[in-house]
Amino acid sequence: MPVAPSKAATAPRPRRRSIDVFSSLSHVALVIWAILVIFPIIWTFLASFKTNTELFGDNSLAMPQNFDWGSWGRAWDKAHIGLYMINTVKVVAVSTFLTMLFGSMAAYVLARYTFFGNRAVYLLFVSGLSFPVFLALAPLWLTMKNLGLLGTHTGLILVYVAYSLPFTVFFLTAFFRTLPSSVGEAAMMDGCSHTRTFFQIMLPMAKPGLISITIFNVIGQWNQYLLPIVLLPGDVQDKWLITQGIANISTNAGYEADWAGLFAALSMAIIPVLIIYIIFQRQIQSGLTAGATK
Amino acid sequence: MTSTPREITRRQMMRRVGLTALVAVPAAGLLSSCATSGGDSAAPSAAPSAAATSATNPFGVKADAPLEVVIFKGGYSDEYATQSHEPLYSKEFPKAQIKHQGIQTISQTLTPRFASGDVPDVVNNSGTDMLDGGALIGAGQLLDLTPLFEAPSIDDPSKKVKDTIVPGTVESGFGGDPAKPYTLNYVYTAYGLWYDAKMFEKNGWTPPKTFDEFKTFAEAAKSKNVVPFAYAGKNASYYAYWMILISAAKIGGNEILLNIDNLADNAWNADAVKQAATAWAEIGKYMDKSYEGLIHTEVQTQQNQGKIALYPSGSWLESEQAKDTPAGFEYAMSPTPSVSASDKMPYEAIRAAAAEGYVVPAKGKNPQGGLEYLRVMLSKEAAKAFTEKTKSLTVVVGATEGMTLSPGLTSVVAAQTAAGQNVVTYSLFETWYKELETELRKQTNALMFGRISADEFCANMQKAADKTKADSSINKQSRSV
Amino acid sequence: MRHGKLTPAALRKYGFVVSFLAVPVLLYVVFVVWQYIQAFQISFTNSRGISPNFDYVGFDNFTQLFQDDVFWAAVRHHVVLLLAMPLITIAIALFFSFLLNLGGGQRNGRMVGVRGSAFYKIVFFFPQVLAVAIVGVLFQAILRPDKAGVFNSALGAVGIQPVGWLIAPNLALWTIIGVMVWQAVGFYVVLFSAGMASIPKDVFEAASLDGAGRITLFFRITIPLLWDTLQVGWVYLGIAAFDGFALVQVLSVDRGGPDNATTVLPLEIWRNAFTYSKYGVASAMGVALFFMTLTFAVLTLRVTRRERIEF
Repeated sequence: MPVAPSKAATAPRPRRRSIDVFSSLSHVALVIWAILVIFPIIWTFLASFKTNTELFGDNSLAMPQNFDWGSWGRAWDKAHIGLYMINTVKVVAVSTFLTMLFGSMAAYVLARYTFFGNRAVYLLFVSGLSFPVFLALAPLWLTMKNLGLLGTHTGLILVYVAYSLPFTVFFLTAFFRTLPSSVGEAAMMDGCSHTRTFFQIMLPMAKPGLISITIFNVIGQWNQYLLPIVLLPGDVQDKWLITQGIANISTNAGYEADWAGLFAALSMAIIPVLIIYIIFQRQIQSGLTAGATK
Repeated sequence: MTSTPREITRRQMMRRVGLTALVAVPAAGLLSSCATSGGDSAAPSAAPSAAATSATNPFGVKADAPLEVVIFKGGYSDEYATQSHEPLYSKEFPKAQIKHQGIQTISQTLTPRFASGDVPDVVNNSGTDMLDGGALIGAGQLLDLTPLFEAPSIDDPSKKVKDTIVPGTVESGFGGDPAKPYTLNYVYTAYGLWYDAKMFEKNGWTPPKTFDEFKTFAEAAKSKNVVPFAYAGKNASYYAYWMILISAAKIGGNEILLNIDNLADNAWNADAVKQAATAWAEIGKYMDKSYEGLIHTEVQTQQNQGKIALYPSGSWLESEQAKDTPAGFEYAMSPTPSVSASDKMPYEAIRAAAAEGYVVPAKGKNPQGGLEYLRVMLSKEAAKAFTEKTKSLTVVVGATEGMTLSPGLTSVVAAQTAAGQNVVTYSLFETWYKELETELRKQTNALMFGRISADEFCANMQKAADKTKADSSINKQSRSV
Repeated sequence: MRHGKLTPAALRKYGFVVSFLAVPVLLYVVFVVWQYIQAFQISFTNSRGISPNFDYVGFDNFTQLFQDDVFWAAVRHHVVLLLAMPLITIAIALFFSFLLNLGGGQRNGRMVGVRGSAFYKIVFFFPQVLAVAIVGVLFQAILRPDKAGVFNSALGAVGIQPVGWLIAPNLALWTIIGVMVWQAVGFYVVLFSAGMASIPKDVFEAASLDGAGRITLFFRITIPLLWDTLQVGWVYLGIAAFDGFALVQVLSVDRGGPDNATTVLPLEIWRNAFTYSKYGVASAMGVALFFMTLTFAVLTLRVTRRERIEF
């Protein structure tokens, strides 16, 4: 929108109006998208109170006729949503911690030390970014069984860590490279060991990057669907994770047609996560981008 | 791998609960890989010192030997086992401890156990994630059930068990080479068009007996805002291809289906198949397109709400919908309509078969107890309890005497009586050749929702069958009856 | 510290390097690399998974694959996904992040977002914290094709006939792309917002003083300065475009239908491995998928590499 200098005096007025049109149009776009995001979630919540007749009636936009929490009870008792949540929190907490520990150790060494094989190890990790997990499912199942890790949280955690390493190492290596080398060298001069330099000096300096990748890993591992259904089979239902629980109740809807129960379970899986996100949204959003835009 | 017909086990799962899974949990195949890679050559576990056999204890079960039972917890749930079958076993052997597991993912749960040799004594092998029966037989993991069928019946010791059950049941569980019965198929299942008898009565409708009547009926139903016929294309298109295959068999006889199973040349191009596909495609036109995107329980719920007249399914339907069937809704089943006057089988012919398999692992700790448990299941008392709990008939003859049958079952029994010897055979290609079966599902939806003609349907299926036949990596099977 | 000689310091260094690398590398090799090596090996066999015995069949599985219509349908869908999904997501996300950060014009000499920016930034991110499996089940009801489906009810309220979101062969894949975009946009809004925040304010102020309008600001200033971030976003989205398994499996007709209209390679791998017990073929598909992903990543990084704009 080039504005000729000579017209500058008369320009403000039409420009003002075009801004108003632009503003209101952009508000419309934002509001529509916000509705698209919020509406399905609210609908799911409301659907948990509906009867099958209402759900399959002619007006699926109507409010439920009465707020009966029975479906929530059924979902809680039968689908064990609470237990699966706790399991998921446990697994994701431990595996994210280990991912970050091992990932940053490897990345630090790869970023700041020259040694024979450095490049090879780095490429080995990075090439993992383009491996489809699918390719590994069948052999992985056998390996886990042979190691006696099938159906255990330990096994799943180790696998989560291993599959999160490529991304973590890739990003943190880049991050450690950007940190000034003078600080580390000064610490070494002062007699700090390599290990202490890493834990006491370098890690705190890398905090923004670490937080960012931690959030990536938490979200990624929380959402994992394939690995748990393969590695935590049916005889260890008490160890299942939330995505399996939802998939299972969705399957059960095939046997029992308890749609309200399905939506209640979905709501139970969604709401706590949303609440946690809303509470920590500032930290999550800034943390997420601190490393990625570096 | 031996070319065992993997018939029954997988087939029933298709029939019964088959594709109820919206989200597949893996992997019968993957998991069964270990069934063989693990302990196939392991020595059979030392049979626990069996007790002496007697008339009441034909297998010599040790009175205090614990018994582990694994039941597929699907459409039938597992209450029939925990509340009837297991207590009945305990009554015989009060000292025996029974360990019960009701699960859905049979294969993932049990494969590692088969591989390691620590197996349960009875397995209800069913559901989306069932164990590959053929692989288990090939690995010597299953017990030959011949002694069970030859043993005296609990109700009448003068009769053998095999003489107290519906003929064909023993053969339906055959596998291996030479063929032996490895699976007890317990549930008697009939297939046809299901409807609400009350609604039909109210409207003065009767189920159509010919496809011409079907069209007249369809118009009548439409005028009352009822969809004349619908099935769930999203996950249950096989309900529709059963109807097409049943019609094909009615037109041309059971050899049409045998040829399809045997991958005979041009089996799908047979006139009977073409006629059946044409007839059903005509009916498909009355279906709203949206049914292709619904799952079976959604469509079944709509039928319960009086929005759909005829629904293709098997006799588990009434049980599956039990909780959602409104008062005043009465399930009834009718045979598929005749296509022409020159059909080889009469209108009354229905497809009926034994389904829902139970196996006894060969390397269990108490295989005698496993056999005995199955013998208990085949007693009238146990069968009756099963029917009461699940609204489904068992293969035990006369077990429903003196019982008030549910409306749906009553109509199944009536249909069965009317059919007499005119029984449409089951299709084994569904489990023998999964790739062909998958293609049939796609083509059935395309046909029924009007994207291809009956001729294209037959041509596409023939192409898929020829591809299967030419694929050397697929073990070929064959059947003569 | 001199390199080359095994001085005590050098020994300490190598000891340190080894001790730090040992665990991560071991985990990675055992659970990832070794599995992929096995998968590559299986792709050259006729393994059925049910039996421990198999033969090497050379490239048979690959020849079979290249003659398979379903395989090519899946490949085509990845191409569509690869072009459409990142493009739509990035376009929407860029537009929104521009509005939310710079769209409000100047206030007190600073560029600000439109009113309510903070709220939108929180809400748009919601889908990102939901598991894909959950999103799939959620959209099942929303996209139901009859007139009782949630979207179709809303459309019906304004007089539009029900849309067969997932049953019309020409529309189904786009519906699934729509769900992917729905889930992804929020993350990229946040990512690009951070990128925009790191652009010095005086760049915009100078441009504004020169009379640049918002559209000029957007295309001539914002996008070039965000190029690095855009590139990162493109690679993430591109890699996501090679998946799609959970959504297609849950949402589509007959898993990949109607008429193969939505199928993707991960789904076909699953089907070949677990339904057909064709392990060799499934692994061959996996290998094909691997090379496709790799090619994409390398190409993107090559093509989009350009002069970094310093500021």
